[in-house]
Amino acid sequence: MRRFALCLLSAALVVGCATDDQKRNAINDVNSEFRVQYERILAELGTRVYRTNLDDAFPALRSALGRVGMRVGDQSPRMGYLSVVGPAPAPLTDAEWRSAAERDLPKLREIATQHVGVLGRFVSFEPEGLEVIINATALEVRNGVEISLTARMREIAPPKSGMPRREYLPPSAVRMGLEKIWNEFERELRSARTL
Amino acid sequence: MSDNAFPDALPPQYGLHWYVLERVLGQGGFGITYLARDTNLDQPVAIKEYLPVEVATRRPDATVTSRTDEHDERYRWGLERFIREARTLARFDHPNIVRVHSVFELNNTAYMVMRFEEGETLAALLERRHALGEADLMRVLLPILDGLELVHNAGFIHRDIKPDNIHIRSDGTPVLLDFGSARHSLGHSRTVTILVAPGYAPFEQYYSSGENQGPWTDIYSLGATCYRAIAGRAPLDAIARSKGILGSTQEILVPATAVGSARYSDRLLKALDHALSFAEKDRPQSIAEWRKELAGGKPAPAPAKPAPVIPVSTVSSSRIAPMVWGGVGAAIVIGALAALPWLVPGKPQPVVQAEPAPAPSEAEVLRRMMADEQQKFAEERKRMEEAARELQSERRRLEEERAKPAPSAKPRSEPPPRIARATPIPEPAAPKAAEVTPLPLPAPTPQSAPPPAARAPGPAELLASAERAQARGDYGEAATTFKALAENGSPRAMVRLGDLYLVGQGVERSDELALRMFRGAYEKGDSEAQQRLGDMYAKGRGVPQNNFHAYAWYSAAVLSGNAAAKGEQERIGATLQTVEVEQARKLGERYARAAKER
Repeated sequence: MRRFALCLLSAALVVGCATDDQKRNAINDVNSEFRVQYERILAELGTRVYRTNLDDAFPALRSALGRVGMRVGDQSPRMGYLSVVGPAPAPLTDAEWRSAAERDLPKLREIATQHVGVLGRFVSFEPEGLEVIINATALEVRNGVEISLTARMREIAPPKSGMPRREYLPPSAVRMGLEKIWNEFERELRSARTL
Repeated sequence: MSDNAFPDALPPQYGLHWYVLERVLGQGGFGITYLARDTNLDQPVAIKEYLPVEVATRRPDATVTSRTDEHDERYRWGLERFIREARTLARFDHPNIVRVHSVFELNNTAYMVMRFEEGETLAALLERRHALGEADLMRVLLPILDGLELVHNAGFIHRDIKPDNIHIRSDGTPVLLDFGSARHSLGHSRTVTILVAPGYAPFEQYYSSGENQGPWTDIYSLGATCYRAIAGRAPLDAIARSKGILGSTQEILVPATAVGSARYSDRLLKALDHALSFAEKDRPQSIAEWRKELAGGKPAPAPAKPAPVIPVSTVSSSRIAPMVWGGVGAAIVIGALAALPWLVPGKPQPVVQAEPAPAPSEAEVLRRMMADEQQKFAEERKRMEEAARELQSERRRLEEERAKPAPSAKPRSEPPPRIARATPIPEPAAPKAAEVTPLPLPAPTPQSAPPPAARAPGPAELLASAERAQARGDYGEAATTFKALAENGSPRAMVRLGDLYLVGQGVERSDELALRMFRGAYEKGDSEAQQRLGDMYAKGRGVPQNNFHAYAWYSAAVLSGNAAAKGEQERIGATLQTVEVEQARKLGERYARAAKER
């Protein structure tokens, strides 16, 4: 316990040593890296076409997102637009978040260390004070309905660490979250016997 | 016509004398630019067709015509300006100014034939590269300054400099395009948003008269273009800046010296901040002065403000009134600020002094500009009040006539003859809410003689009258008329009423009601409503803030022919990722298609 307190104190001292510019540069680089991966994952997993119609797809999409802990912020069923919001780490559970964070943490710390030195080793993902916003569209195409999902984070409370906020979810969390939503969506469609 | 993205465009292979159109290069609020082939010289050319979508439309026989009779004068005047400025531009032979070969009239409009330049716009370049380094930026800026100086020296200002209007040739040299031929011609349009590029236009451009505009106006826009190139986004819009300066919002322009710190030289950043000074008198007054700052020399002492480069004497008196009425748009600015005590009706504003106090604050400069505009509106208001009195007496006379029994009533079985009306007048709707007062619109009467009621104001006239009331600050009157027209299903009135709800003028302030109005207008296919919905999502008013959805609405507005939404679309697009932009664009297409279907 005493050792832990000592570590915490050291970390706090190290945090105090990094300048604002260094912190900002670190987060900018993290953002750049995560942005590239975010784009790549969205291109791969963000859009799917289902052989169904909008009347079936939209309620299924709304239910699926509700099942993963998101609530409706705005919607237009006729146009196929749905925006949902939830406190991070939703749509992931705490356990799923930890699992995703573990995978991405080395990369985060590697980038951060280049700018803030030792402090970078103490950087972690902070879901506290963040909301996840998912914009979903369901647009009718020739052979069915094209469903698309994009996700962003929004700050609702300042970070405890004093580090600037990231704009993008950790890549593994994006991947895991999308797969989870698609699974729920397909389950909803199946239960409506439209898949 | 030919292309879903440009429904007003002429089709490919359409012949204009010896030019054969190949495809659309782009469309703005004032016209469509085509890639065409000069079959005589067998070379490509760019042809710009005058088609101000706000006031004119394409007919099935390919001719262009004003949307209504009341738009005709504005359309004609704009057309004349288009031709005159094409002739002027043709005199310039500068490598960084678009080369105009010819201008001709056809299809009841005019066409400007220009050299076709291979390459891409600076806007497209910035979209790809996000930002430009200092060396690259100067390679664009300095040649443009040379060309622009030539134009200024000839007594013209561009008035619409922005990344979209700077073309980067394949060899990397820049060329300035799209001189604002008709920029003033639509000065009394219902809003100013179509006249200026948000973020790139200085505050003085939001006014109808060109008296305050000069080289400093273009210098601001060029500064804003450079700001976009270093910051990755356009600077804060001048209207938003004005609110920040007056303290009604927290929005301020983050200086270039902060945005570009450590990435660009202090000299460049300071010159940009100087160019982006809010008040025109605080900016460099000439290209030469600004160039000196950019080059690192000490700025020359600010000269006395030169005469406007577009002398007022060149504008005929019959044109001045429409330009004053262009203040309808400026009134939106006034509207946005009218909650301030110094703009409360009934409290006369101090007349602007010929010699302003030394170094006034930005807020003081803004107040003076507003007071100046108010004085102009007051004169016009007087004239309109007289007209309104005449209209009232005419209405009373008609009502009396209607109350009298018909001298020779036709048999009941005979259907009443149709009444020919110049302007269709909708039936007054029953008020849905107590505060809604339907206008006393004359009901159709079964009379065979040409009805004198045809002189009663139609919806278009009532709308114009309400917009004028709004412009002169009679928000209560404007709101009452807008409400009645909105009840009758006028999408434009819904948008205007929504604007009033946003600022709480003449009606209670309510984002929710504003949103309802904009949605109602959208349901009727109004492209301006789509832009307003974009604004609501961008600012999070009445809805959760959401740039993705804002982009979708702006895209819909642009696709529906609202070129004014393009600036905001770009600004918001810069905050989104490629995949998000693509998806939001698809949603916008859906919105635009649905609006068109209605």
